[in-house]
Amino acid sequence: MTLLDFARGPALQLSLVILIAGSLWRLVGTILLNARKDLSRPRHKSALADGMKAIATRSLPAHVFEKRIRFQHFSGYAWHIALFVSVLFFAPHILFFESVLGFGWPGLPNGIILATAAITIAILVALLIRRASHPVQRLISNADDYISIVLVIVPLVTGILAFAHVGGRYETLLAVHLLSVEAMFVWFPFGKLMHAALTFPSRFQAGSSFGRKGVRA
Amino acid sequence: MSTSPASLKDFLERLATLGKQPASTAKLSDEERVQRAGNSFLRELTNSMAVDLETCIHCGMCAEACHFYEATQDERYTPARKFDPLRRYYRRELSPMRWLFRPFTRKVDANDLREWQVLVYDACTGCGRCDMMCPMGINISELITVVRNGIASAGLAPNEIQALQDEQQNRNSVFGVEADKLRELIGQLKSRQIEIPLDKAKADVLVLTTAVDVLLFNDALAALAKIMNRSGANWTLSSAAFEAANVGLISGDTVAETGAIRRIVEKAKALGAKTVVIAESGHAYQALRWEGAEDTGAELPFEVLAASEFMARELDAGRLKLKKAQNGRSVSYHDPCRLGRHGGVYEEPRRLLDAMGIEHRETDSSERENYCCGGGCGEYVIARAAPLRQKAFEIKKREFDKAAADAVVTSCSNCRVNFLIGAENARWEKPIESLVEMVAANLAD
Repeated sequence: MTLLDFARGPALQLSLVILIAGSLWRLVGTILLNARKDLSRPRHKSALADGMKAIATRSLPAHVFEKRIRFQHFSGYAWHIALFVSVLFFAPHILFFESVLGFGWPGLPNGIILATAAITIAILVALLIRRASHPVQRLISNADDYISIVLVIVPLVTGILAFAHVGGRYETLLAVHLLSVEAMFVWFPFGKLMHAALTFPSRFQAGSSFGRKGVRA
Repeated sequence: MSTSPASLKDFLERLATLGKQPASTAKLSDEERVQRAGNSFLRELTNSMAVDLETCIHCGMCAEACHFYEATQDERYTPARKFDPLRRYYRRELSPMRWLFRPFTRKVDANDLREWQVLVYDACTGCGRCDMMCPMGINISELITVVRNGIASAGLAPNEIQALQDEQQNRNSVFGVEADKLRELIGQLKSRQIEIPLDKAKADVLVLTTAVDVLLFNDALAALAKIMNRSGANWTLSSAAFEAANVGLISGDTVAETGAIRRIVEKAKALGAKTVVIAESGHAYQALRWEGAEDTGAELPFEVLAASEFMARELDAGRLKLKKAQNGRSVSYHDPCRLGRHGGVYEEPRRLLDAMGIEHRETDSSERENYCCGGGCGEYVIARAAPLRQKAFEIKKREFDKAAADAVVTSCSNCRVNFLIGAENARWEKPIESLVEMVAANLAD
């Protein structure tokens, strides 16, 4: 079995099992803890609608907040969007998704993907430096914060190297790229990458708990 | 309309004695303190808090919403940092991933609890502004409250706050204000033709006042009485349950918090009251309106209204008529955190100002984004925190100056006290007034 076979076969399968089972374990285990029972009379009886609304509105902070977090806010948006473009619209990725899902979609030119991947890396490196140097972020950061950023950067770098055929045989580069993605999958349920799933319940409960008091979360 | 410098001085002298009283929990060992804090965390942690703790990505944006961080740029005041003991406890003991997290997560010890005492009492008023900022929707102030409650359980609440709580629990009084003191004031107000019914056997409305009003803001109590009388309500104060303040909510002692709520609930039940009106006090409103049912385990058999909610309702019903204010002054309304962000009372105070034809100029941050007065949730009684508090007050002062209204008006006696102290220190001349007093002064005949 070549390294590429391993990366495409057992490593991918195992990493997906860990990703899915681990995420479910963490999500369900958290939600099944004791719940607070609200007994006070709600001002608004629209907990569901308020919760759903907050999932969307929390993406747009109020102006007085926005002006103080502009860099973090926009850089955060920029890299998440650039990452998703790189992952979802690169032609070889689409072929892979098609082989799994049975359907595909049009891709973007390689030049654009290269640019979005490079932008993602550049912003993540800047955010990594900020985390290590800004007094607030440095104080509240733990190993997970650094590991998670690195585990997102590495697949992007290995992806560009594989695409550009730089640094080794293509098959090896591709295998390393796949393994780096799988490392991210394995880390996902254990670290802060889980926020990709947890953000929704968290925003929802802010919306519903403040909403019942008549406060827009 | 406002308090005299002499009564403020007396009040501050009363505050200064608080920290010198021996705390009831001074003799615990460190092991006991850690054990008690852990038990408290375990008792209070809910699944929604767990989701919040799991979701925090340590972005640090919450710091930018915190007045104490903004005023000092001290990174220790980052809200996400303030709930760190709870996060660590959760990761070691409760998280579904605890088997993995435990070896990498340091246990909370007594020194942590002592260090965090300053962070969660001196440098956090539980104002919840960070809750509105967090991009993940984390209810940060709720998590900090749980840390606070744990520290209180460990017997490590600041002396001033512990002394207040001991007093309310043991003597059913706050700042030494017992029923006799209230009776004396009611007698004085009677000589000013203000009738305050005390201890009626049955009443539709039970009104709660606060020790701060009895000691310092007599006019606010007089104004509320005038409004209650004018509305025609069958109301009373009760000598057994007149105090709205809930020191347990402030200190973090949930047993004391529930005890104070029960006293009110029992009295209201005995009176057959359908409504409880709370004088101008943000935390008292939060305690009864939003925690009362949860703490006592059953829906309250009456509705709870803040003074501004009651006035707005009476205005709508036509039982209260207001005339246009004649002095032509503009005001900036300060939303007390626990009435606004934590309570949902934004619209009523503004509607009352409109009804009096008073121009209100909003500060840059208002309503859900409003800055705290700087001394809420008992912060203003902690002597050592005075310099920090003053820095936070400067943010408010800047906002008010920019809005350039003639006066500041609010509906919380604690916010008023804190503003008065801050203004005196800063030699700031802006009048700081009470909404209830403003309404009472503009009742139409």
